Amino acid sequence: MENRKNIKRPLIGSLFLFLSLNGFAQTDSLISKVKISSNLLISYNSSLIYPGIRLGIEIPVYSVSLTKNTNAGRKKLIIKDHFISVNSRWYHHPGFHDNLYFTAEWTMRRSYKVRIFNDYSFGTGYSRTFLGGTTYHADKNGTVNIIKSAGYNYALIIAGAGFGFDFSKKRGIPLSVFSKFDVLTMFPYNSTIYFRPILELGLIYKPGNFLQILTKRRVKKK
Amino acid sequence: MKHIFQFFILFFLAMTSCQKEKITIAQKVSETFYIENRGASMRILVDGNTSSKVFIVFVHGGPGVGAFVYNSDYLSNNIEDKYAIVYWDERNSGASQGNSNGMFLTLEQMTDDLRKVIQVIKFRYGQNSEVFIMGHSFGGLLTSSFMTTGNNQEMVQGWIFADGSQNYPLNDSLTRQMLLSVGQQQLALNNNRVKWQEIVSYCNAHTGNFSFDESNQMMKYAEDAETYIYEVTKVNSWELFWNNAIKFNWPLTSMLMNYLYSSEASLNNDLAKIEFSSSLYKVTLPVLILFGQYDFVCPKGLGYDLYNRVSSTDKKIIISPISGHNIMFQDEVLFCREVNEFIALHR
Repeated sequence: MENRKNIKRPLIGSLFLFLSLNGFAQTDSLISKVKISSNLLISYNSSLIYPGIRLGIEIPVYSVSLTKNTNAGRKKLIIKDHFISVNSRWYHHPGFHDNLYFTAEWTMRRSYKVRIFNDYSFGTGYSRTFLGGTTYHADKNGTVNIIKSAGYNYALIIAGAGFGFDFSKKRGIPLSVFSKFDVLTMFPYNSTIYFRPILELGLIYKPGNFLQILTKRRVKKK
Repeated sequence: MKHIFQFFILFFLAMTSCQKEKITIAQKVSETFYIENRGASMRILVDGNTSSKVFIVFVHGGPGVGAFVYNSDYLSNNIEDKYAIVYWDERNSGASQGNSNGMFLTLEQMTDDLRKVIQVIKFRYGQNSEVFIMGHSFGGLLTSSFMTTGNNQEMVQGWIFADGSQNYPLNDSLTRQMLLSVGQQQLALNNNRVKWQEIVSYCNAHTGNFSFDESNQMMKYAEDAETYIYEVTKVNSWELFWNNAIKFNWPLTSMLMNYLYSSEASLNNDLAKIEFSSSLYKVTLPVLILFGQYDFVCPKGLGYDLYNRVSSTDKKIIISPISGHNIMFQDEVLFCREVNEFIALHR
């Protein structure tokens, strides 16, 4: 009986110590709801030599401001923004097809104090291609007709990663430039899939009060 | 909102403007159009002299290889200056597009596609246009199917058969025989001993009545075998790629995915048993047969089988001593000379 008591004491002590230490290590967190303006986006949306364009709106969903204490004793600010972006994109591949496609993407952007940001996105959408030449149909009797606006409808998924530079942080210009690599996958394409690497170079414009959305913002200190 | 709507209308019109019909009758033409047939929109590139009113329809190999790879500078300078070549991407090949259309990937459907290609060529360039068909590798089987079906022969002036196959079971037996006989010669000469030994051992162990896997394995050995022969002109695939990929706007990922799909499609199992040797007697048109001496994939024995079986009175067989499976690249001079002469004689 005495032995049992002896075991219990250090166990309870350890548990108390663990809980209190854990409590001290917890981040200070403040959650608020603020109105944040949506961003407008335009980019050159190419597959190396084949031109294209993307026009989009980034609607803010969630934002986290994280202040970290570095080992050197300095404070480091990281902002994690989450957006839903709605885009219309197009590219032109001569002799193959023109592709007009619409995507809804979930974008995660991580910005640093040094004005550099990186972002990752994943989305889904709809594609309509227009074949790169007059399209004919010949029937059993050999009568040939031209098919107007010939092309196909596809479902698509798109994923990408990129980086950029935010001019609004120090210079107060509400613009960012970015570069991004996306992979577009369309299906069903000839009973299989079609994928296409896409390189983007673009601008993000952050107007003061365009399509303001009440967004959950969390300020965290670590 | 109104402006956005107007913008999309204008954008839509701009995109469909690429589909406006443009037919050029000139000495140096390069134009692309598509033919839609049963779930597939197949790309056609017409390159060369359309004012000649002579069109050579190139029926590529594979299935799934696509016609882009055949469009070499040498052909442009030595055939397309006189006649137009029609580079047709068969369904599920090259730049051909569609949705779920795998169920239509059959030899019968592709034969019908070829018929439609010729109908559209005549619709665009005039009913008085003269059409020659040229089949390479699997294209040999497809053109054999076309030539022996119904009244298709009436649509063309002549048939060029380049390193093709009209009989897959015979093809397997001839490939095995050739791998074995050339392999034993090469071993006696002590050339590429390890590789030839493997090939000869495989052929000795698999003597006939080949399964689909055995047939595929022999094709792999056949493709490699010609690269072990010093006399055979090597094809520089990279040079072909760098010279043409940008110039002809190759849709690389489409070509790759179509090739992967077609090469694994169930169609290949069906083709393994198909032969047209027994129906070649129906062919009465002029025929030009071109083979490489060292073509292990489609051995020249297939050429002799074709030559002996067609009823044509005007027929010619040429064997290139420096060529393997791709005579149009490996012996370009002979290939262009023979094709030009054949067309000049029969147009």
